[in-house]
Amino acid sequence: MSRLQVAFGAGMRSALLAWLCCAMLFLGTAPALAGDIQVVVSRDVPRSKPLPRYSLIAIFGMRMTTWPDGTAIRVFVLRNDHPLHPRFCKEVLQVFPHQLQAAWDRLVFSGTGQAPEVVDSEEEMRERVSRTPGAIGYLHKDQIDNSLAILPLAL
Amino acid sequence: MNPNLRHADYPIPTRCHSYPEPYRPMNASSPPLPGSPACRRIRPACATIAGGRSNNTVAARSLCALLALGVYADGSAFELLDGVQVHGFATQGLFTSNGNNFIGPSAHSVSLQFTELGMNASWSPLPKLRFSIQGLSRRAGGIQDGSPVLDFGLMDYSFFDEEDYRLGIRLGRVRLPYGLYNDTRDVAFTRPSILLPQSIYPERTRNYTISGDGAGYYGEWRNPWGNLTFDFVTYFPRTEESAKIAIIGLKTVAGNLTPGSISSDLSYVGRLAYDLDGGRLRLALTGAYVTTHYDPVFTWPYDYLAGNDQFFPWIVSGQYNTEDWTFTSEYSLRPINHSGFAPVAFARYADENVIGEAYYFQVQYRFTPRWELVGRYDALYINRDDPNGMRFQRLLGEIGYDYPAYNRYAQNWTAGIRYDVTSWMMLRAEYNYVNGGAWLPRQDNPDPAAVAKYWNEFSFEVSLRF
Repeated sequence: MSRLQVAFGAGMRSALLAWLCCAMLFLGTAPALAGDIQVVVSRDVPRSKPLPRYSLIAIFGMRMTTWPDGTAIRVFVLRNDHPLHPRFCKEVLQVFPHQLQAAWDRLVFSGTGQAPEVVDSEEEMRERVSRTPGAIGYLHKDQIDNSLAILPLAL
Repeated sequence: MNPNLRHADYPIPTRCHSYPEPYRPMNASSPPLPGSPACRRIRPACATIAGGRSNNTVAARSLCALLALGVYADGSAFELLDGVQVHGFATQGLFTSNGNNFIGPSAHSVSLQFTELGMNASWSPLPKLRFSIQGLSRRAGGIQDGSPVLDFGLMDYSFFDEEDYRLGIRLGRVRLPYGLYNDTRDVAFTRPSILLPQSIYPERTRNYTISGDGAGYYGEWRNPWGNLTFDFVTYFPRTEESAKIAIIGLKTVAGNLTPGSISSDLSYVGRLAYDLDGGRLRLALTGAYVTTHYDPVFTWPYDYLAGNDQFFPWIVSGQYNTEDWTFTSEYSLRPINHSGFAPVAFARYADENVIGEAYYFQVQYRFTPRWELVGRYDALYINRDDPNGMRFQRLLGEIGYDYPAYNRYAQNWTAGIRYDVTSWMMLRAEYNYVNGGAWLPRQDNPDPAAVAKYWNEFSFEVSLRF
């Protein structure tokens, strides 16, 4: 009996410790930003004012589904194993790829949302985004031509 | 929600009286006399309930079909029509233990009675309107037999969907927002381990906790300092046979369940969550109020009382993600008010108001992009004022019932490894060391007195998705 009660008390103490550790880790984060990856949209997408990062995360997290003019947002991402995808997640969204995947899975398998459309290459990304109304994606700046538009961001 | 762990343990204590014996072996001709050796430990007639049964072939065939589908689809979702998505998953588990049955007859044996097959479709005919439906076949030991069920089927409409907020409603059969993992608990890829921590997400009450029929309201407020989201659902709980067993216990005569029916009353669950940077830090507070009642049918000589059951758990959840590490902890208080459900003569022993307590700490480490380790300590106390169960044991001892105290708690250490073979195929292996039997499904271990206190379990899992 006493052993159990000791374990029980220790559990409570370690709970507190664990939460404190989390808080400390959280205070220590300071992300960096690289400029060679751009968020691109099809040319019909309204882009009058720069989009804040939290809205961009909501779009790629599939939780914001319409543009301000009411058209549906169509999200395109590269495959998880494409080298540009983790760079986009970490440098632009500042979200780890595994978190984004987990967020999509939570939506898809709980009936509360849909997954983005996955493309295999930057060429396919450029092609699909440019010809899909309301589309959003990302490309290395060298891959961008005037078939699509760059979405201004307020990062 | 995850109610009533306690109730499944309630051993309707009739065995040592002239009252007929619900746990009586099928071939016993008369009830044992008080104090007779048979009274000390009687194996139920339904011990074979956990044994192999039908559905194997059906499940295997469906698994093959899904496998083929998964391979064909190369892990990507189907886009059948514009705005229509189809996704699915298939999981097969293997369980073996040196003590108790968990997910089928796994004690000193190997159980393959764990198969999850699911497929869903969603369709957005308008930007703010979406329909989603998921069918699920799940076989899990004696708890579920693999019959296909409608897992969720709903209409989702966003009234507002702006840059910094959204508000909407979901109608139909909706998943219940409960802690961090309940929303997708049948999808192995979304679980941190082969099964979820059993203290907060017990298998034995799963059907009852997974989804409900009603209306859900949701909202999200986005800010530079993080997102606040809420999900609130008013619903009628699903009360299938396994929920009935979870609530009133497995009381069988030659395999028949307790006479009567469980019906659900309007219940509520709500979750308020905060997350930063797309989930780097996730905090959540969940509260629920779940009510069910039992309408007995008088079938001589079983004169059960009508019962009421109220369960109102709270969960505090926290998760912190780095690129390689995920730290997760949840703490839950589980108050239960329970009255009736028992044969009239034993009502005094059946009524109970207790506050249970459950929590776990979990660490995941992705040491390469494809490999992940998980470690966890998980604890459940059915009555926090009687954490070691001794009081409960004494209470039942008064009426001659041999009920080991360790059925009232469980402490579980877990170590596991996950390997993602491809983006659509995953393998897992896991070891569990458990002290106590509080979350063991009664369907797999019908006799509380036969439960082993200390036990080890190995399990394996393969899962596919598209």
